[in-house]
Order: sequence, then structure tokens, then C-alpha cells
Amino acid sequence: MNLVQQIESEFKLYEHQAQKDDFFEYRKKAFQTFQKNGIPTIKNEEWKYTNLSKISEIGFQTSCVSNLDADALIKAGILNKIESNKIVFVNGCLFPELSVWLEDDPSIICTNLAKARKEHAAIFENHFGKYLPQEEGLNAMNSALMSDGAFIYVPAGKRMKYPLMLTNITDANESNILQQPRNLIVIEKSAAATVIENYIAVGENSSFTNVVNEIFVDENASLEHYKVQRAKGNSYHNNYTQIVQNANTNINQVTLTLDGQWVRNNLHFNMNGENCNSLLYGLYIPDGQQFVDNHSRVDHAKPNCFSDEKYKGILKDKSVAVFNGKIMVHLDAQKTNAYQRNQNILLSNDATVNTKPQLEIFADDVKCTHGATIGQLDEEPMFYLRSRGISENEARKLLLNAFADDIAEKIKIPELVQILEEEIERKL
Amino acid sequence: MLKIENLKASIEGKSILNGINLEIKPGEVHAIMGPNGAGKSTLSAVLAGRNDYEVTEGSVDFLGKDLLDLSPEDRAREGLFLAFQYPIEIPGVSTTNFLKTAINEKRKYLGLEPMEATDFLKFMRSKMEEMEMDKSLTSRSLNEGFSGGEKKRNEVFQMAMLEPKLAILDETDSGLDIDALRLVSAGVNKLRNPDRSFLVITHYQRLLDYIVPDFVHVLYKGRIVKSGDASLAKELEVKGYDWIKQEVEAAV
Ligand SMILES: Nc1ncnc2c1ncn2[C@@H]1O[C@H](COP(=O)(O)OP(=O)(O)O)[C@@H](O)[C@H]1O
Ligand SMILES: [Mg+2]
Repeated sequence: MNLVQQIESEFKLYEHQAQKDDFFEYRKKAFQTFQKNGIPTIKNEEWKYTNLSKISEIGFQTSCVSNLDADALIKAGILNKIESNKIVFVNGCLFPELSVWLEDDPSIICTNLAKARKEHAAIFENHFGKYLPQEEGLNAMNSALMSDGAFIYVPAGKRMKYPLMLTNITDANESNILQQPRNLIVIEKSAAATVIENYIAVGENSSFTNVVNEIFVDENASLEHYKVQRAKGNSYHNNYTQIVQNANTNINQVTLTLDGQWVRNNLHFNMNGENCNSLLYGLYIPDGQQFVDNHSRVDHAKPNCFSDEKYKGILKDKSVAVFNGKIMVHLDAQKTNAYQRNQNILLSNDATVNTKPQLEIFADDVKCTHGATIGQLDEEPMFYLRSRGISENEARKLLLNAFADDIAEKIKIPELVQILEEEIERKL
Repeated sequence: MLKIENLKASIEGKSILNGINLEIKPGEVHAIMGPNGAGKSTLSAVLAGRNDYEVTEGSVDFLGKDLLDLSPEDRAREGLFLAFQYPIEIPGVSTTNFLKTAINEKRKYLGLEPMEATDFLKFMRSKMEEMEMDKSLTSRSLNEGFSGGEKKRNEVFQMAMLEPKLAILDETDSGLDIDALRLVSAGVNKLRNPDRSFLVITHYQRLLDYIVPDFVHVLYKGRIVKSGDASLAKELEVKGYDWIKQEVEAAV
């Protein structure tokens, strides 16, 4: 069964249940959109280099069943390196054994979607499904058959004391797994939060993780958002993160793509008020036959906003990377400052990068730059270091670490920087 | 220490060094002077092991080893040091980390244990004092945002740290004001000792007022066309390079 057929049959099963969940109307509409738009193909300009056809044919199962040993995971140190609140999902389903809550203010909430819909109905209804562009086939697919996910809520004026680590574990020990996590993050006025999205995988089978994040950041609030992709093995991963920010908000977003056979990150900032700051940084280090696609879009809709985007890649072996960044400066968005760069270092002749920085400006009083580079490590610094007695290998490491540090220094959690440095060491 | 015999090198088929002969003994300071484009930087780059240049003929013996057969890093580990004419900036690589790596790579090559972090810092601090280096320079990325003078002084500081047997200074004086020139020369003079040799490349004589050479050679069109003692440099200052060029042309 291919992916479309599977979604259709799963939806039929769902529809014929006597006891449907609270999302029925929403799911049904999304399913109709999915039927209309389907899974994107390479004929779609936004998916030109990103081919889903192979993934569609793999054949997955949706299943909460997992024999994961919580203690073993904790011992392996995968989850406890950062002192943080934790909510963990396995194959899309809540895994309470690993969840940890450190905040002492009961008005700050982190729970799963199903519960949030019942217990925090007013806030939930206000935001859920309000921001996501549904016409994207994979978004519609998520909305139609989302598994579960996190609901994170920080009320006005509150500030999370600890970062919140939202971990998705794929357990592909038993079968090929399809999971569709769906997260909603609401940061109210003058509130602040740090969220780390963390993806890991175990098991030999394949998995397809299709995530949707809706994030709303109200006036004067701030958000630190990190996405760390460490799902090893045959894991395929699509992520759509829609961020809506109101006036005077600060958002720092860092996307780290380390593992995963096939990863597509879609990041969409809607800067919907004046004096917003949006920082988008990313680092990807694919090797082997890994494929990494970072698609971003920043909509400057109001005046006096600043956005800075920098994505850097180090590519080894036969890996492939795609960068597509679009900055839209709308008619009203005077005094916009927008910067975008994509820089790539190819360590192998067989690695490929397709990069497309785009800038569309409809306002006249703006400062915007964009650019992309693809190349090998420069000869000059290599020779300089070697002429001081440093081996070619060490020199390369020093230079690549320097290249990556530029992104690492955007991370404000020292333990996460350390994890990243270890991962870089491992990959290079 | 160093023996260059009939060294010829070219780049992209263009011959630049046309048979260089030069012998440097331990403790000697040799100066190479010559007009722009004579091949001075090419000579230093070939000695340091830059692979853009093709050595077409000749040999270089460095402390009993065939220098041209060694990788750039092994040349450095054997005791060769080049202070670049145009030191580059390497953002993101801290001077401290860079020097620690360089010293420990050399120690590994020589079969020594790596230097302890605290010993290294002590050693670096003492060298910084000796070379009158500003602390802030070593905490920054390598040469990043340094002025021309700071870059040159950083080269000399690196030389002090790496304690080479033969140091080649490629126009370390160019672009320096008089104060920076004094500091750089004082640094070099502190490093002079009976076992360490220098090859000082310069376009102008004024550096040689501070670093007094034992021998002066004039390089022109890829050949050493005249050699003498320190007085040759003075003569060049007064008369310029034209008379040498004329002598060479007349001899052809
Ligand atoms: N990378 C290069 N490619 C082509 N020609 C070069 C290159 N480097 C040096 N040359 C040429 O070699 C000659 C000698 O240059 P150089 O060694 O830099 O001289 P100097 O240091 O004495 O001024 C010059 O004619 C210069 O143009
Ligand atoms: Mg030169």
C-alpha cells in the first residue's frame, strides 16, 4: 500500500469508529484537502529537488505499541543531559514514564493535545489550526490523522524557569512506523519560553515522521526554539513549523540536522507586528546518502522588523542538501532589515547542494541582503595552518569547527552546545 | 642548516625561480633583497611547501633532510618557520587553540607528550610578555580584524612560540610604521641565537638597520645576482636596484 492509499484507508477506519475523537470535523476537512492536493511531487516548484516518491512506496504502520525501556534510555544519557522539563512521545503517543516537570508555577502548562482540548478548551480553540497553511499536502495529511503532540502554554507575563525538551522517539524495532506529531505552543504577552524539539530513533525498520508545529507568540514575548534532528537509521522526516509573532517579539530559532536518511524542514515566520526580531539559524552535516532540505519563508508584514537568517552546511560523501529561503517584504513593511545567507562546504566531489536564496521586496525603504556560497575548504587557511605544523586532518577539523561554531554560538543552552560539539566531532 | 642548490620553480608554466644557490649555516642571518616581482615570496613559499608551485629542478637540504620531499607540516615540525608577507585571517579559530594544536602536533612528531594545558598557558604568557604582545590579541580569532602591524607582530609571536631552527621572514617590515617596525625587529633580535638561523626577505634596507644581517643577497629575475655583507644593503639604499638590473642585462 502506498502512502496515499494508507492515509485513505486509515481515515476510513477512523471515520467508521463509533467513538470519534474531538477533532473529527477538523480532520475531515483536512482529509478532503489531502485528497485534493495529495502528496507533493517534484513538479511542484517547492519540491523540485525533494522527492517523496520513494518514501510513499515504503509502506508504514501507525502504532503506539513500543517495548521501549525507559530506564535504558535514561541510562544511555539521551534525555538527561540538559536540566529541563520533559515531555516525551514514542511513535506519536505520549510516554509519561519519561516526562518530567520542574516548573513550580501551575499556570504554565505542558500536556498532550487530547487532554488540552478538554481541559484548556478556550485557549486551545483560539489557536489550534488557526495558523497552518493547510493546502500543503503533508500538512493536510497531518491534520487529518495527527497522532498526538504537545500543548505548551505560557500565560501573560510568565517565564519558564527551565527549557522544555519535547522529545519524539521513533521505535522502529517492530515495523515501519508512520507518526504524525502535532504540537501547539502558545506564548502570551510578555511571556518567555525555551523549547527544544528533539528527535531520536531506535530500531532497524524505516519510519516516516510528519510533524506540524503551530507556534503563537504574542506582543512583547520571546521564544528560544531549537530543533535537533538526531534520528539515526532509515528515518524520513518532514517538519512544518509555522510561527506567528505579534509586535515587539523576539524569536531565536536554531535548526540542527545531524542524522536522518531524509529530512525536510519547513519553517515559516509570519512577522505580524512592528519591532519584531526573528533569528533563523541552521546547521546541517549530512554524510553517506543523507538528504537534508531546509525550506524557510519569512513574511515581513509590518514595519520596523529585523530578521537574520543563516544556514550552514558541511556535506560529506554522497549527501545532498537543499536550501530554499524566501524573504517576503510586504508593501507595509517599511524600514525592514532582512539578511539571509546560506553557506556550504563540500568535503566530497559526490556531494550536492541546491541552494536558492530568494528576496521579494514590495516596500521601498528597506535594507535587505541575501546570498549563497558553495565550495571546498579554502586552500589559503589550510596552508597557513599546515605551515605551522598542523596536519591536514587537524587543520580541516579546526576550520570546519570554526565554520560550525558560527551557528553553535547562537545556542543559548551550554549543554546543548556541548551535545552539538560532540555530534560534530563524531560526524567529522 | 639549509642548502639550496640550483633551485628552479614555475607556476602555470611560467618559470619564476631560475636556479637559486644559497647556503645558510646555524646562527647566520641572511637577507634577501630585490625589486618587486623578483621571486622573493615564491622562494619562501617553495621552501614552506606551498603546492601551487612546481619545482622543476634543484634540491634543498634542511638539516640533512630532503626538504622538498616533506609535507608543509613536517617541514614546520622539523624546524622551519615562514612569517607570511600577507598573513590571512581565520575567523572562528582562536589564536590560543591554534598555537596549542600546532605545538602539540610538533611534539607528537618528535615523540614527546602533549603539553599540559596549564603549562601551555604559562609558556604562552611568558612569550607574550617577551614579545610585548597585547593579551587581547590571543583571545581573538586568528588575525581577525587585526591591523597590518598586528598581523605581522602576531607572526613574530608565533615564531617565538614555535621556536624554529630556521625562520624565513617575508617582508615582515612592509606596511609597518616605525614603532611597529621597532617592536617587530626587537622581537626577532630576542630570538637570535647561535643555533637559530634567519632568512630575512625585504624590499627596503631600513629593516636591516634593526636586524643586522651577516650576508645580503640580491634576487633578480629568479636568480641571486649579487651577494655581500651588510654594506651591500646600504649601497642598494643609495643607488636603488637599477644599477644591478643594468649589470645583469649587460652580462647577458
Ligand atoms: N600564483 C601566481 N600565479 C602567477 N604568477 C605568479 C603567482 N605568484 C607569483 N607570480 C609571479 O611570479 C613573480 C614573482 O612573484 P613574487 O615571488 O611574489 O615576487 P616578490 O615577492 O619578489 O615581489 C611575479 O612576476 C609574479 O607575478
Ligand atoms: Mg613578495
